[in-house]
Amino acid sequence: MLANYLIGLREGLEASLVVVILVAYLVRSDRRRLVPRIWAGVAVAVGVSLAFGALLTFGPRGLSFEAQEAIGGSLSILAVGFVTWMVFWMARSARGLSSELRGQIDRAAGGGRTSLVVVAMLAVGREGLETALFLWAATQAATRTAQGATSTVAPLAGAALGIVTAVIVGYLIYRGALRLNLSKFFTWTGAFLILVAAGVVAYGVHDLQEARILPGLNNLAFDVSDTIAPTSWLGTLLKGTLNFSPATTWLEAGVWVAYVVPVMFLFLRQIRRNNRPSTAAAPSVPASPASPASSAS
Amino acid sequence: MPFPKRPAAPAVLCALAATTVLLASAGCTSNEPQPSADRGDGGRAKGGITVSASDDTCAVSATSAKSGTLVFEVTNDGSKVTEFYLYRADGTAIAGEVENIGPGLTRRLVVRAQPGTYTTACKPGMSGEGIRARFTVTGSGTANAGADQRLLDQAAGRYRAYVTGEVGKLLGGTKQFVTAYKAGEYDRARELYAPVRAHWERIEPVAESFGDLDPKMDLREADLAEGQTWTGWHLLEKDLWWPAGAPASKRLTDPERAKYADQLLADTRDLHARVATLKYQPDQMANGAKELLDEVATGKVTGEEEIWSHTDLYDFQANVEGARVAFDSLRPVVNTKDPALGRVIEQRFTALQKDLDRYRRGDGFVSYTDLSKAQVKRLSDSVNALAEPLSRLTAAVLV
Ligand SMILES: [Cu+2]
Repeated sequence: MLANYLIGLREGLEASLVVVILVAYLVRSDRRRLVPRIWAGVAVAVGVSLAFGALLTFGPRGLSFEAQEAIGGSLSILAVGFVTWMVFWMARSARGLSSELRGQIDRAAGGGRTSLVVVAMLAVGREGLETALFLWAATQAATRTAQGATSTVAPLAGAALGIVTAVIVGYLIYRGALRLNLSKFFTWTGAFLILVAAGVVAYGVHDLQEARILPGLNNLAFDVSDTIAPTSWLGTLLKGTLNFSPATTWLEAGVWVAYVVPVMFLFLRQIRRNNRPSTAAAPSVPASPASPASSAS
Repeated sequence: MPFPKRPAAPAVLCALAATTVLLASAGCTSNEPQPSADRGDGGRAKGGITVSASDDTCAVSATSAKSGTLVFEVTNDGSKVTEFYLYRADGTAIAGEVENIGPGLTRRLVVRAQPGTYTTACKPGMSGEGIRARFTVTGSGTANAGADQRLLDQAAGRYRAYVTGEVGKLLGGTKQFVTAYKAGEYDRARELYAPVRAHWERIEPVAESFGDLDPKMDLREADLAEGQTWTGWHLLEKDLWWPAGAPASKRLTDPERAKYADQLLADTRDLHARVATLKYQPDQMANGAKELLDEVATGKVTGEEEIWSHTDLYDFQANVEGARVAFDSLRPVVNTKDPALGRVIEQRFTALQKDLDRYRRGDGFVSYTDLSKAQVKRLSDSVNALAEPLSRLTAAVLV
């Protein structure tokens, strides 16, 4: 029961965090009317995943191991691409928000409108296939044992409770995010999303290593499985939020760093620039006589 | 604007297309497992192979199966989350896995398995080495109809190990040779020349498969085309065994020596790196053995290859060894297909080697110029006697 609960919690967290932050962002930036687009993306992803799971379980054809890895891997890379794009898009329109330039926001939202659906779809769909297969396995187990063996719906209930918990955690994060002040909101959620995305990249690399498309599956940078068991509470939370794997290969670790360092740097620089003009907007120009053009620009 | 305006639509289309392609091609496998039970080698009549995993056991219902699509139904009867892995023979490469099998649940692993040895493992708690057992996949695979894929894979593996070893020794030897040559230690360089080149000659068909490297490294002066620059082993050979009547003014200068020697070493490094990525098919190996014999017949037996150093018999021996290793690697396959042919080839190899052994001197061989016409004729006959059955090897292995 507990084990299945933790699985549901982990997969639920992985899927819901990105969605929660996107919704919080739209609400904070006074674009609540765009929120339904995100739910539309989520709905499409859940529907497709369930249909897919049902088809693969009851249909005439199954999905081979290689195909599962390949689909999971490519969706992960796409998802990261979009999340990264969203983070910078949010950071840029944050500038517009703080100087109250409505026109700029709307122009930015024009570009982001369709991508909102896609980001939500990918964030959920990436985990959806895996979770759908798990849920179908659970229902099958329930029907099989109903025919006269021991436990019945316990595994399914456990997993469902886990997902519900993930949604509650997501909601709490959402409430917390709404209470932050604007610049803190952008910094924290943006930085958090970058860490999530880096975890997804590393996880995708691990999948490709398992599929033998990339080498080095057995060259571990560290293995803390004994301290942080993957099935423990801590392991579940770290995996569910940051995609942290207790046994990480060098390639995964390298890719994680190679993603986080430049992206975080660019992101923080953008945030700092956003904060600067709002205080410097007051006429503080003639500090340097060497740059008279700056007052005209 | 650092970001494109509407990246969404194309990206979605791309994702869908990729998924569709995957499903349409290799991605989907039949949900109906191949009935392995009616062949009497394990598996159940329906639903493939079952795996019952608990916290300290991993019971697989069969220890072997016929190659093709295998379905493992993994049930977690324990209390911890578990994973099930199918590893290839080396125990580390993953052929398939299912993660997140919660207590009480059954999940399915579908893999397309080639013949060979595998290891199954359940990992309760999703960590550690897991509870492992051997699993054998029998049958003929799909790549070579009628041929035993496992034997062919093993043959390719043996030959690959040989080629890798030889190209490694070639690189080490070339470094020594180049160092001596550039330092002006020409006696040492002459001593190293033939033994180092033997590593090249043993794997010549492989080296020749890189069309750009072979002429750069092994071109003879006689085969030089109009306007082509001569580089490689034989250029240095001529310099080391400078012909008596040739004008000294035409000899390489020291900077030229350094340049061509460095070039040779760089090309060898290149070869070494590229060989590491090669995969060998049985037909390439069989044809390669025949090509090596042809090399002997057209170059070594005639004394044309090493026209300045006259070390042709070293190359001769190396070509024969390379062909012999390719044949030996394929021998188990030949034994199942055409044992008579295998015996003939074996005998002729032995006879040729005996003929060649008469010209050994010390660690190496006599100079080609010491051979009489009759002796050359005799060697040539032995080569031809082997070349004929060897030319039938490819067909025997593949059909
Ligand atoms: Cu997951």
